[in-house]
Amino acid sequence: MKLIKLASITKKLAVGALAAFLLIFLPFHMGMNLCILRDDGGEWYRNVCHFMGTNYIVKCFEIVLLLCVVFHIVLTFILWLENRAARPVRYAVSQKSKTHQGSKWMIITGGLIFVFLILHFINFYFAKTGLVEGKYVVKVEKVQKAFSAKAMAIQQGQMKEADMQKLQKEYMSIMAAGEKLASDGKYYVNLSKQDLQTYFGENVEEYDYEPDFYNMARDLFHNPLYVIIYLLSFVILAIHLLHGVVSVFQTYGLMNEKYSKAISYLAIIYAIVIPLGFAIVPIQVILF
Amino acid sequence: MDLTLKIWRQENAKAKGHFETYKLTDISPECSFLEMLDILNEQLINDNIAHPVCFDNDCREGICGMCGLYINGRPHGPDEGVTTCQLHMRRFHDGDTITIEPWRAKPFPVIKDLVVDRSAFDKIIQAGGYTSATTGGVPDANAIPIPKHKADEAMDSASCIGCGACVAACKNASAMLFVSGKVSQLALLPQGKTEAAIRVKRMVKKMDELGFGSCTNTFACEAECPKQLKRTNIARMNREFICAKVCSEEK
Ligand code: HEM
Ligand code: SF4
Ligand code: FES
Repeated sequence: MKLIKLASITKKLAVGALAAFLLIFLPFHMGMNLCILRDDGGEWYRNVCHFMGTNYIVKCFEIVLLLCVVFHIVLTFILWLENRAARPVRYAVSQKSKTHQGSKWMIITGGLIFVFLILHFINFYFAKTGLVEGKYVVKVEKVQKAFSAKAMAIQQGQMKEADMQKLQKEYMSIMAAGEKLASDGKYYVNLSKQDLQTYFGENVEEYDYEPDFYNMARDLFHNPLYVIIYLLSFVILAIHLLHGVVSVFQTYGLMNEKYSKAISYLAIIYAIVIPLGFAIVPIQVILF
Repeated sequence: MDLTLKIWRQENAKAKGHFETYKLTDISPECSFLEMLDILNEQLINDNIAHPVCFDNDCREGICGMCGLYINGRPHGPDEGVTTCQLHMRRFHDGDTITIEPWRAKPFPVIKDLVVDRSAFDKIIQAGGYTSATTGGVPDANAIPIPKHKADEAMDSASCIGCGACVAACKNASAMLFVSGKVSQLALLPQGKTEAAIRVKRMVKKMDELGFGSCTNTFACEAECPKQLKRTNIARMNREFICAKVCSEEK
């Protein structure tokens, strides 16, 4: 049974190319997450997130990345189905042959990574697109502008004195939630979507607020259940990568007697360093 | 040694098969695995118990590739680098239960009991596993100088005996080790190089058509190959395939 009419090697090459993109992407994401470790109230991390969220080249890559994930999953699943069909009658005794570490579990480790990705998307990507509730930041100038516009309106008699008092109270409370960032001295304010709407009204979009991934991440990492799921996911990713890295080289024919050892070591180093880099963040948040 | 054998019995290609259990007593550890099956068959015939168990074999010295049984979850049994015919009973223990199954793969249908039809391999060879030589006088053996290390590599790849253990071992029933061995042995030498591109394309196409799975680099093939062909053959075939697809205009 062939679900896709392409040469088997071509399909493998496609899976490998998509996976290679993911392999290149992971260190970038890890580097970004490591910024959370810096004791600066999230300044670096917010700057990176701002760059990632607004730069057009990055946005293009975001689409490429999404497509890579989707097609990696779809293609590997199709290959898995095809490969199962190549052995319609299965062995009575389960296979005992020596195999490459992790290789038999790719569909399972991959599937579990997929489950984690869904969770990850709900927590972060959906918050960004506004599908689920998140936390947001707004530059303090924007807040000041909003309030001074309202204050003007009151002075010009379009609003009552009582409103003025209410406004002042709101302003105080919103500033109280603000955090001073070390180097540039600008204030950001952490708000829920609900708050944004009450403070800025219908025209909330004008204040170009951004998702506050820093506080969202820290909140999640204070939830022990989430941290356990998170850490387990990266153990699973490590197993997936242990085989995955070697597999990409092999699929592209970049393997011979001379380098096969070096490639195995590279895979082990990659499969440990990358997941560890991700895992260290919640560990620091929970312990310190 | 006393043994319990669980053997796959299947009347013919269409029949539904099942496992049958046989007891054997007093088997010598010096006995080869196939001799042990001979003893079983003798008893089955003499005591009028059942038809003898069919299994493939020919040379019984590890060179023809005819034998091939899936023994306790491993093709050619627990030893490394040997065919079933070279496996000896000393590798088992008194009182062991040994489960014997035929190769399982869609392109290798069971013909009877433990015998499978491996002509799929022949079809792959027919698709391109040769050099087109015109007839004529025998060329001088040293007319084309070949470096020793290339000759060695080609010889290693050519040591494949076509037993099919790689397919049997692979969780995807992929024939990549077999095909890559054949592709390599020819692509490494100047006589085979001129047709390398068209060869790899045709052989891979045939391999896919016949219903073998695709490689997931699990390397069970390498672990079970009686001739210990290396995974680097598969990498070489992938290289050859990429080059052929990109550079060669032949269809
Ligand atoms: C961060 C995410 C992921 C990364 C970095 C990644 C990486 C890789 C790599 C490098 C390979 C080897 C490709 C090759 O053989 O050439 C691979 C294979 C595979 N991946 Fe993933 N993967 C990821 C997510 C997933 C997900 C979500 C699934 C979901 C089902 C999945 C399923 C598989 C399967 C089944 C294979 C085996 C394919 C084969 O061996 O032929 N992966 N992955
Ligand atoms: S590659 Fe090895 S296991 Fe496969 S057919 Fe040849 S000799 Fe047998
Ligand atoms: S019978 Fe010839 S290799 Fe075993």
